[in-house]
Amino acid sequence: MNTSTSTNVSSSSVSHAQQVMNKLEDFDFPYCDEVTKYEKLAKIGQGTFGEVFKAKHRQTKKVVALKKVLMENEKEGFPITALREIKILQLLNHENVVNLIEICRTKATPFNRYKATFYLVFDFCEHDLAGLLSNVNVKFSLGEIKKVMQQLLNGLYFIHSNKILHRDMKAANILITKNGVLKLADFGLARAFSISKTSQPNRYTNRVVTLWYRPPELLLGERNYGPPVDMWGAGCIMAEMWTRSPIMQGSTEQHQLTLISQLCGSISPETWPGVEKLEFYNKLDLPKGQKRKVKERLRAYVKDPYALDLLDKLLTLDPNKRIDSDNALNHDFFWTDPMPCELAKMLSQHTQSMFEYLAPPRRRVVQQPHAGQPGHQKGMQPSAADGQYHDRVF
Amino acid sequence: MAGNFWQSSHFQQWLLDRQDLQRERHSDLQVLTEEEYQKLMIYFSNFIQALGEQLKVKQQVIATATVYFKRFYVRNSLKCIDPLLMAPTCIFLASKVEEFGVISNSRLISTCQTVVKNKFSYAYPQEFPYRISHVLECEFFLLEMMDCCLVLYHAYRPLVQYVHDIGPEDNLLHMAWKVVNDSLRTDVCLLYPPHQIALACLHMACVILQKDYKHWFAELNVDMEKILEITRQILNLYDLWKNFDEKKEIPALLAKMPKPKAQPSRPPSQGAGSSQNDPTSQTASSQSS
Repeated sequence: MNTSTSTNVSSSSVSHAQQVMNKLEDFDFPYCDEVTKYEKLAKIGQGTFGEVFKAKHRQTKKVVALKKVLMENEKEGFPITALREIKILQLLNHENVVNLIEICRTKATPFNRYKATFYLVFDFCEHDLAGLLSNVNVKFSLGEIKKVMQQLLNGLYFIHSNKILHRDMKAANILITKNGVLKLADFGLARAFSISKTSQPNRYTNRVVTLWYRPPELLLGERNYGPPVDMWGAGCIMAEMWTRSPIMQGSTEQHQLTLISQLCGSISPETWPGVEKLEFYNKLDLPKGQKRKVKERLRAYVKDPYALDLLDKLLTLDPNKRIDSDNALNHDFFWTDPMPCELAKMLSQHTQSMFEYLAPPRRRVVQQPHAGQPGHQKGMQPSAADGQYHDRVF
Repeated sequence: MAGNFWQSSHFQQWLLDRQDLQRERHSDLQVLTEEEYQKLMIYFSNFIQALGEQLKVKQQVIATATVYFKRFYVRNSLKCIDPLLMAPTCIFLASKVEEFGVISNSRLISTCQTVVKNKFSYAYPQEFPYRISHVLECEFFLLEMMDCCLVLYHAYRPLVQYVHDIGPEDNLLHMAWKVVNDSLRTDVCLLYPPHQIALACLHMACVILQKDYKHWFAELNVDMEKILEITRQILNLYDLWKNFDEKKEIPALLAKMPKPKAQPSRPPSQGAGSSQNDPTSQTASSQSS
């Protein structure tokens, strides 16, 4: 409803709606609890479609995360992104996917124009990966990095085999409990996918995934994409486990593609057959003659040869050749010493929550001096800002 | 997106039994007979179907919308929200949930107006009285009442699998598919899991087309008693439908139906006289422009 139409509504019809709502106010909603059963403790983040709060159940004292559903586009009614997230999370039940406990609402009253607000209620996770990585005091051993990546790929394997794309992989959307269990979170951009028939390719939006984690096929305008878009993000995150800040911090789509070419080599039909058919291939300026230097550039931070090999396979330009989650889990990286080891012990040294939202800005500061020179700009030498303390939730 | 029916809210929260239905509908059944109630449900299912066809959504959207509609009224009396408003609301929500996209506001309302005018004017002589703001508000109540249980499992997918298993039988699939569509006008989608409904519809299609697949059914490891129950309910529907003269009966049924205390200035079902000065119709037409 927009206000201009509502003004020329007849009074009788307004009063009708009013009366219907008055009637509904007396309704008892036995199937959707009121959010007041939780006590809000602190704001801990900003999701794709709303704010996130830490909260506590007033009776059971269980700590949860409340994610408010923002009603931005009123014409759309209940947002399709929220419907997708609810639907997908109700479907996905896995150790490495965030658990949706229930959906709560506020009471419809005259004060909110009889519009209830909905909240998604999740199990609370103490940390997110971006928050952990931005704290220099948090040190991951190789075995611990393996555990993080193994759980991340396990989660991706599960959602992909359920025909779901996450479409917003980034360190801030990877939650980790204090017991070291990793959970994929924020399914606000996720959607179901199907394997398209050649006659009828899918036409999904390519305006998804945070720029720094966006794979080359999306940047070039592909609309018939699939699980490899999440695998690229997994590669970026894996590298970040060592570099401690995002490895390709482009400022525009063009810039992002330049950074990708400088790291992964020139984008051309020789290395990526069919790329010339993508919408923006001829419209954007793609650096030519760049050699692939994934391993050699990351070797400065990543000493383990298996890790470098897996990174190389994840950060493959051609989505058809990019490694999938199943093969990634079978990679020698996870099956050679040191084996993946539990994170609980390391995390037990950090009794305070770390969320990116609460951490001081760490990234752009480091990036700016070297804007055109990816690879050298990463937060490799933690600046003073990186070592600072975070606002604490507890 | 496939998902597991046995872990779904559909299975865990939304498979009811006969007693549930009786209890929940008790207050409406004080006013209407069971048969009258079923006839109204058939009528509104037809309305949802007509809206869906006019909007050119796929059958899955129509099926989901129909089940949402039934879920709402299984928990609520018809007098809580006018079913004439609930029907397009269910289509609007189902189209989003089934990834068919957001139906534009003006298109939804103008389609309601067209369908009411062209196909249902015998019951609603006046223009469709609701505006998009009503639909959006109604969507909230629908979501809450369903406890945000959005994902439904229809009989279509298991049906396709069973027919595939039987062999190349396009006619059989086509016929059984139609029976599944019709089954949405009964309560079976609230009472039985989709694979049982699919089998019942497949069985009926075999009988109609005189195909003998007894040996195939004999090898199934299912509760045939349940399949027969579903079959009986769908046969009852056909009996009821055969003798149901909508044009003649519906106006009286709508007049008898429990209604919200508050009605649009002139209740459509009792509407008489010219609509030209009717303020609600003016509003409605200004929406579509």
